[in-house]
Amino acid sequence: MTIEDKNNPYIAAYEREKRARLKAEEILESKSRELFLKNERLQESYELLQKQQTAMLQNEKLATLGTLAAGMAHEINNPLAFVKSNIESLTQYHASYARFATFVNSISSHLPDEFQSQLKALQQEEDIEFIQEDLPELMSDTVEGLTRVRDIVMNLRSFARTQSTDRCTANLVEGIQSTLKLLHSELNNDVNLKLDLQPVQDISCNPNELNQVFLNLIINAKQATEGLERPTIAISSSTVQSEIIIKISDNGQGMSKKVLKEVFVPFFTTKPVGEGTGMGLSIAYGIIKDHNGEINVSSVEGKGTVFTIKLPIN
Amino acid sequence: MKGVVFNVLEEMVIEQCGMLAWNEILEAQEIEGIYTAGESYPDEELFGLVGSISAKTEIPAETLVGAFGERLFKGLSERNPVFIEAESTLKGFLKSVHDVIHIEVRKLYENPNLPDFEYEEDADNTLLMRYRSPRKLCILAEGLIRGAAYHYDTAIEIEHPVCMHKGADHCDLIVRFL
Repeated sequence: MTIEDKNNPYIAAYEREKRARLKAEEILESKSRELFLKNERLQESYELLQKQQTAMLQNEKLATLGTLAAGMAHEINNPLAFVKSNIESLTQYHASYARFATFVNSISSHLPDEFQSQLKALQQEEDIEFIQEDLPELMSDTVEGLTRVRDIVMNLRSFARTQSTDRCTANLVEGIQSTLKLLHSELNNDVNLKLDLQPVQDISCNPNELNQVFLNLIINAKQATEGLERPTIAISSSTVQSEIIIKISDNGQGMSKKVLKEVFVPFFTTKPVGEGTGMGLSIAYGIIKDHNGEINVSSVEGKGTVFTIKLPIN
Repeated sequence: MKGVVFNVLEEMVIEQCGMLAWNEILEAQEIEGIYTAGESYPDEELFGLVGSISAKTEIPAETLVGAFGERLFKGLSERNPVFIEAESTLKGFLKSVHDVIHIEVRKLYENPNLPDFEYEEDADNTLLMRYRSPRKLCILAEGLIRGAAYHYDTAIEIEHPVCMHKGADHCDLIVRFL
């Protein structure tokens, strides 16, 4: 019996072994595929978990800051109220004092010579003329400073959302359109505006506050695209399941990962001192949170930024 | 080269020339000839085996590689019928090689060193498959296409006007559906 003989039992055994080997390889391949897919799912879950952890930390940080901001706002507001009231009284007192000083001046020539010279000496010593001149300016500067402090406190309170909000039924697309009308002259000449506004359901919200969010985001987008050859802002609205999704994106300078982590933090700004309060996005964050929504940002340096707002349909 | 290619080569030699011939070829190459489908083996080992088969059968290596390509399609399609079942036409199948089959293979094996294919379709029912591989196994690719055409019962002609063996950086395999 040779190896080529068809009756050779080893041929049959060889065929059997070969089939067994093929089956084993098939099982191995199917297990490898399963492993690959499981690994892929695991990787996706891991990435999602990391994102959620980052978001959670960010939310916790902002919540803590919110509590702190609310406390600070409250503490500053009380003394601010009486300082402001006192300044108003002082302004009135100054008017009375000025009238009195003018009257004294007008009758000084009728005083005996001795008192006249004493009055003149006192006026010169105390520099009454300068005080009279400087006081109104000091008062107006103080009022201006207090107004700025009041605005900061108000911004802090907006971020902390301690105020009660007036809700009504409104449509977000209409809100965006009215905000765009407001920004018409600001945007039209410089920016290529791409709108993809799908109709969305009316929701119970505070439309003024949400419009403020849209305004902040659109102005930020505009500022990010300044100096570009083809500055573009894209705004879209859509409904996914039970959420309204608003996206505001630009092809501007984008943000680094470090900046991205801080954008919603109160007083964080990349603008030069005096040009931004660093409150715009933190207020936007507070408003969206107050509406039980989410605001997220993704950005690539040199390519642009996308803000995504998700608001539940009540 | 993956062991499955060696497995199919072994099957072809045994079918055509018998087990004894395969044993002699392995002996001539001084190799054990133990190949597992998913494992990678040196390309030189395959080329050495093809050289030995060619010497033994007196079939020119190029002809042999082409014929092996046809047989390799059969071997691979028997082992992985799902890719054949997914496409009902030869053209559809050929177009799925790069974007479906090779992607699936990459899921299973790290660095499978697969060739690259680009496709261009003409109105007159031809498909240009642009082949790139450091192995320059364009003749094997031709054989595989012929094997697929046989399976799909589709008459074709293959032109090979641009070839890496003639100094080009790629091969153009023009499949004409008759």
